[in-house]
Amino acid sequence: MTAPIDANRPQLVPGDGRPPPAAPPGIGPDLRGQHSGFASRFIAFLFDCVLSIGVFMLVLAAASFAASVLTGTSIHWSRANLWVVIAFFGWQFFYYAYCWTTSGKTPGMVLLGVQVVGLDGSRVGTRRGVIRTLAFPLSFILLGLGFVGILFQRDRRALHDLIAGTAVIYDWDTREARLRSLAREGSDGRA
Amino acid sequence: MESIAQAVAERVIDLVIEALDMDALIAKIDLNDVLAQIDLNSLIDRLDLNEVLDHVDLNQVVERVDLNQVLDRLDMNKLLAQVDINQIVSRVDMEGLVRNTDLGAIMVSSSSSLATEVIDMGRGHAVRMDDTLARWVSKLRRNHTRRSGSPELPTAEESPELPTAEEEP
Repeated sequence: MTAPIDANRPQLVPGDGRPPPAAPPGIGPDLRGQHSGFASRFIAFLFDCVLSIGVFMLVLAAASFAASVLTGTSIHWSRANLWVVIAFFGWQFFYYAYCWTTSGKTPGMVLLGVQVVGLDGSRVGTRRGVIRTLAFPLSFILLGLGFVGILFQRDRRALHDLIAGTAVIYDWDTREARLRSLAREGSDGRA
Repeated sequence: MESIAQAVAERVIDLVIEALDMDALIAKIDLNDVLAQIDLNSLIDRLDLNEVLDHVDLNQVVERVDLNQVLDRLDMNKLLAQVDINQIVSRVDMEGLVRNTDLGAIMVSSSSSLATEVIDMGRGHAVRMDDTLARWVSKLRRNHTRRSGSPELPTAEESPELPTAEEEP
């Protein structure tokens, strides 16, 4: 984890005397290692939902197409079909468990710059990753009350985090983002 | 006859010199006046400074100099005003600098694509929403605590090892 950038440090002024460009919203001191908030996690989850369901639908469509080519009969998948339901939950389990156990990040989390870690900041590992995946639906089943901890707890841990012994932190380098932003502002100003 | 005269003269000179009080004599001389009459430039011109310097042990000289005192007396601003920074920069091996430091990585990440720009913006907005939500919840908890009259909730300083974003300015 990196040390936070000193917000009170005087900023460099460009040679032509122009005031330094303002940083984009949210890009302030380094956030890495701090507990991620509800919005970042929720947006990441929405993205994961779209991606995982999209991939599942594509696979079903591909299977249906292959079946129609090979057997000449088309298959219509429906939510009432038990195999579809089992395949869906199996795929969801694989998607989250694989992502959390290997890197601590789902694609949505990569996009939003958040990561699942152990309570001491260590890697999630297989055991905690699988437990978290299994406990994840609990937060939904309890009318979403499992997520209230993200809003009200100081360490922003949901029910499945408490069960698995994990936490979600910001993982994006705000210092680099700030430099990129300053470089863009600078090049826009020169143009 | 001539040799006798020379011997007498030498003896007389020796006697005079022995009789002279050199300290008293030097005390009577106005050295400033003497120095004013000396043309130092022509004297220096006649000096072979390289030969003089060959005899000087510079290390010993430097050891006896209090460099801190010398630096204290230096007007660094005046000194830097005389330095041509552009010339110094032109002599810097920029390629080596980029190759051997983090500067290269920073430059690469700075010259990012539109996708990175969009991601940065999106993440920035999400963090701002996180902070807004955290502020609302914090306000809500304060109001609730005041109404119920229960003791103050623990402050942010008591948070565990991983601090939250709302604690940052």
